[in-house]
Amino acid sequence: MTPTRRRAGHEARSSPRGSIWAAGGEDLRARLVARDERALAELIDVASPWLLGIAQGMLQDPVEAEEVVLEVMTIAWNRIELVGAEGSALMPWLLRVTRNRTIDRLRARRRRGSALAAASADPGIVRHVEDESRIDEAGAPGWHVHRSVHAALDSLPEDQRTAVRLAYFEGLTHSEIAERLAIPLGTVKTRLRLGFGRLRVSLAPIKDWVL
Amino acid sequence: MSAHDWFVEHRMDYVARTLEESELRTFQDHLARCPECAGEVASIERDLAWLPMGAAPVALRPGLSRRLAEGVLETRGRRWMRRAMPAAMAASLLLGAAGWLAGRLETERLARELQERDRRLAALTDTVSITRGADRVLQASIDMDGREGGILIFDDSATHRWNVVIHGLPPAPAGQVYRFWFICEEKMVPGAEVSAGANPALFTLPMPPEGGKVMGAALTVESLATPPMEPRGRTLAELML
Ligand SMILES: [Zn+2]
Repeated sequence: MTPTRRRAGHEARSSPRGSIWAAGGEDLRARLVARDERALAELIDVASPWLLGIAQGMLQDPVEAEEVVLEVMTIAWNRIELVGAEGSALMPWLLRVTRNRTIDRLRARRRRGSALAAASADPGIVRHVEDESRIDEAGAPGWHVHRSVHAALDSLPEDQRTAVRLAYFEGLTHSEIAERLAIPLGTVKTRLRLGFGRLRVSLAPIKDWVL
Repeated sequence: MSAHDWFVEHRMDYVARTLEESELRTFQDHLARCPECAGEVASIERDLAWLPMGAAPVALRPGLSRRLAEGVLETRGRRWMRRAMPAAMAASLLLGAAGWLAGRLETERLARELQERDRRLAALTDTVSITRGADRVLQASIDMDGREGGILIFDDSATHRWNVVIHGLPPAPAGQVYRFWFICEEKMVPGAEVSAGANPALFTLPMPPEGGKVMGAALTVESLATPPMEPRGRTLAELML
């Protein structure tokens, strides 16, 4: 998924992956609306590794993460007429819904009193999202976006980056972060606000990329 | 600090989903009726659209692509969704033309309009007191075994609730029950079981805590034996916001 810019006036990035990527998400979405099952297979191939990365990073359970991806893909397929209908692109929608559903499961798990995810058990240790047996293909569709987001995260001061990672990539609430880092709630909120504020600015230039 | 400042302060936290459950509900209730916050939340979501891709991708286990495709195509909800969604979108267009998005109509004027617009709804004049505070009214007709009824939703900004009026429903067939659903961005969320005994049936619902943005509502008739997790039965009415 080499992203292409949607707005006129920006030169589309050339795609090494063939016309589907160069055409952006609108073409894929149109084929999904037309109930093209090959388009579904293509969507699964390109999007699933990323969706799985989000879900598995938070849930620390490959089977449950795959369930989330199946749920999200099912929603996208069944409701494709509504997905992206208001100008929001398909891939950001998939990312957002995956993250929301994963957090729903995390919160439900915690309500049931389960222990926090294994990787979250060590106080003060923030697992880097990239340090496991994950895809390492710089040529994978979407890798360019991943690098851009990483650059934005890496540019944050350490304390803000830690708070953002716990909140956004591990799904912790304000109070859970405060407890984990043993810092006051107000400090958590301040760090997140500053961190997300900076990310908004640094990610704004890529916001119109489409899958 | 005004009451609204809290919402302004927590827009980013809402998008990041770091709010506690009770705060999340409060925020969602507010979001459904504050265009300013809804606009800003949408803007934050756009700016951070790619942030989830900070998580590194995971290689799919062998055969997972195929299992996912098969799983999607075999989903039980598929039949209902496929049928309901185009119909719901059509209903939305019709409502856009036939319905009205009132600013804050006064009770009397709204009552008069209701009667003028649809004689079948005249029976509802005694319930029109619930329209105080409603800043949006949705309506659709219901056809149940040849009997015509109607469904009205009064979106109440004062209580952050939906007041729902359903009239003209015959008793549910044996072993079945009427159910009201929220059509949310991500899924259908059960709203309430509707008693056909009271006519019109009146009930009040808070916005659902899950499923994402509320996009509309539906009324179905379901088997009593089916757990109310997702609609399986016949759709009697659909309304889209
Ligand atoms: Zn507001």
